[in-house]
Amino acid sequence: MPIYEIVFYTFSLVMLASAVAVISVRNPVYAALFLVLTFFSASAIWMLLEVEFLAIILILVYVGAVMVLFLFVVMMLDINVEPLREGFIRYLPVGLVVAGLMAAEFLLVIWTKSRFGPEAFPSPPPHPEGYSNTQAVGEVLYTNYLLPFEVAGIILLVAIIAAVTLTLRHRSGAHRQNPSRQVQVQRDERVRLVKMKPEPRQEG
Amino acid sequence: MLAEYFPVLIFIVISLVLGAVLLLTGGILGKLLGHSQPDDEKASPYECGFEAFEDTRSKFDVRYYLVAILFIIFDLEIAFFIPWALVLDELGTVGLVAMFIFVIELVIGFIWLWKKGALEWE
Amino acid sequence: MTRMDFLLIAPELWVVTMTCVILFVDLFLKEERRAIVYLLAMVTLVFAAIITLRFDYGGDPTASAFAFNGSFVRDQMGDMLKLFSYFVLAMVFIYAKFFLRQSRMFRADFYTLSLEALLGIMLLISANNLVMVYLGLELLALASYTLVAYDRDSAKGSEAAMKYFVLGSMASGILLYGMSMIYGATGTLDLVAISEAVRVSGSDDIMLVFGLVFLVVGLAFKFGAVPFHMWVPDVYEGAPVSTTLFISSVPKMAAFAMAFRLLQTGLGDLQSDWMQMLSLLAVLSIVFGNLAAIAQTNIKRMLAYSTIGHMGFVLMGLLPGTAESYGAGMFYVIVYALMSAAAFGMVIMLSARGVEAENLDDFKGLNRRNSWYAAIMAMVMFSMAGVPVFVGFFAKWLVIQAALNAGLVWLAIIAVVFSVIGAFYYIRVVKLMYFDEPITEAPIDAPVDFRAAISLNGVIMLGLGIFSGSLIQICMSSFGA
Repeated sequence: MPIYEIVFYTFSLVMLASAVAVISVRNPVYAALFLVLTFFSASAIWMLLEVEFLAIILILVYVGAVMVLFLFVVMMLDINVEPLREGFIRYLPVGLVVAGLMAAEFLLVIWTKSRFGPEAFPSPPPHPEGYSNTQAVGEVLYTNYLLPFEVAGIILLVAIIAAVTLTLRHRSGAHRQNPSRQVQVQRDERVRLVKMKPEPRQEG
Repeated sequence: MLAEYFPVLIFIVISLVLGAVLLLTGGILGKLLGHSQPDDEKASPYECGFEAFEDTRSKFDVRYYLVAILFIIFDLEIAFFIPWALVLDELGTVGLVAMFIFVIELVIGFIWLWKKGALEWE
Repeated sequence: MTRMDFLLIAPELWVVTMTCVILFVDLFLKEERRAIVYLLAMVTLVFAAIITLRFDYGGDPTASAFAFNGSFVRDQMGDMLKLFSYFVLAMVFIYAKFFLRQSRMFRADFYTLSLEALLGIMLLISANNLVMVYLGLELLALASYTLVAYDRDSAKGSEAAMKYFVLGSMASGILLYGMSMIYGATGTLDLVAISEAVRVSGSDDIMLVFGLVFLVVGLAFKFGAVPFHMWVPDVYEGAPVSTTLFISSVPKMAAFAMAFRLLQTGLGDLQSDWMQMLSLLAVLSIVFGNLAAIAQTNIKRMLAYSTIGHMGFVLMGLLPGTAESYGAGMFYVIVYALMSAAAFGMVIMLSARGVEAENLDDFKGLNRRNSWYAAIMAMVMFSMAGVPVFVGFFAKWLVIQAALNAGLVWLAIIAVVFSVIGAFYYIRVVKLMYFDEPITEAPIDAPVDFRAAISLNGVIMLGLGIFSGSLIQICMSSFGA
């Protein structure tokens, strides 16, 4: 099916190009948007691997929530980004050398085709008709991986506590409206009748 | 399985083409038909005729971020619900209890942050 | 899921339940009754210890019991490390209370977050599959990042937390990458199943070795071993001392257990591969940690570099891969946690009214101000330096002996030479306390529980040194040595 290959190579290309763009464009808002594009392409590739659940979660959580927060922060934050990029040229040679070395090491490993090529890792047998990846995830996640699942819940709980601990401060002296108090207020609390002697009228 | 998602692919292609066509026609027609003679004054940003007072980027109350982070956390929770809902029949009581504990963990967090006043705006 | 599963995981369940209880109790407490939170936290630790001790192995110290489809394991090593985690954390709570009270940061968050971190530590110690290792680590890390930024008004603290967070997430990412490769090569997440798969394929499988490299890098980050140590001094210095006290002591035991589970339980058949990597890390850590510590004038930084050196020794205990060496490494990491808690406890003791006694000069003439505290600090320093009779000596000795028995003579020589060099900066602290003029005559005052805890902690340095036999015996027997 040539369409499979076409889709795969298109999205891979888009993903690589946008990933490069994330770290090279000047404007951080564009960078964040390119990151969205990278996630989206990755999701499409996952879809080709028939892991629909993860692909959709990637869109739902990363693109839908995390990247929105990213954009929010980047757009609102009072940071002049230009100085952060100073020294890019200066560190570029060192960075290139390190990147080149790493790439060479990776290639050395991958080049040994007998060990890392498609022969060593044949594609798994095709799934039977009616196979659902989401269902497969569900079948193990809540039984075999019950403990990790609950621990993930605890981690989310800690994340809540951490976020609130780090950001919440109660401003002292802020006036608040309490509607239920306002409604329940009694006459005695607001009006006080004072008995006092009549004062003589002042002539003047 | 992939065949089921083929309409999505078509949809992506059409929206890409449509976006490109609209952008290009708008750009090209605009160039051809309109006439633009920008100068410094015209191109400068203004606030109701004043000079701009400050940069677009300004400090925001950290509460906005707090709400956003809390949203992400509860959004993630939804991700765990999807496969659970699909296989609940097979899982039976075990699955129900498993998800119950998970939800309880987050509800504890939710009640705590509510009582703590993290959602109040003063 | 059976009753047995829940019996095995009972300590963890207890800790998580109590953490939630404390969260809610705090909401209804008035400011002046905050001490209840502290008491509840201590009760949590005491009962956690009782629950952990109640589990019976039937006399075989190397036996292990699995729960939740093998994702959780209980064995004697894990239980010992957990018990010491409770003990050291109790010390941390006592010391931290004094500091937090003084610097007006006495909030329940410190205790809830520390207990969540403890939960992460316990899960990490008992993790028997890659997902559990990662989740335990993240739980611990997330709570630690927050604790580092605990003093929200301190720019230094926020910077430290940021560095810790960025580097820590990168390390987690690298670790996860390694795990994914190991999963790819073996097709399983369970560490026992991985070891079976590895036995078949051996180090022939290039992907496995590749995954191992990433795994070791991630571990080295968490240990703070050179060359992945950059965060350690900055975080130790920037964090409030109550947090430094915590992150320098308890999590190290979890790091040891994690390294053991991943490298020995999971990838034991690749020992010849990871031994080379670990020996490089160990040598660099011992050399660099001890040399850099000499140049420090800030005691938190000095202790941070000293941690790096000590972690080099722990790695040295791991790398020969013999039962004897694991026992030595376990003993070392327990002893280190105790020493570190005592050292930072002394820093807290000298911190007057919330101003941290960060500089070495603050220790000048301590003997004249209070000779008992000076004696405690001296014992801690001698123990860290590895002076005979003190417990630190036996820890170093066991590790070096294990290395010698495994034929790593060169490693043993380097370790000895640099612990002698390292002794210089520990003994310098002792010299400052006994032979220099104090910079202030202010009396040292601390609540009675603090004084009792630090005295106990100091006496342990000597007492455990003289009567170290039984603890060493337990550590050794956990690995069948």
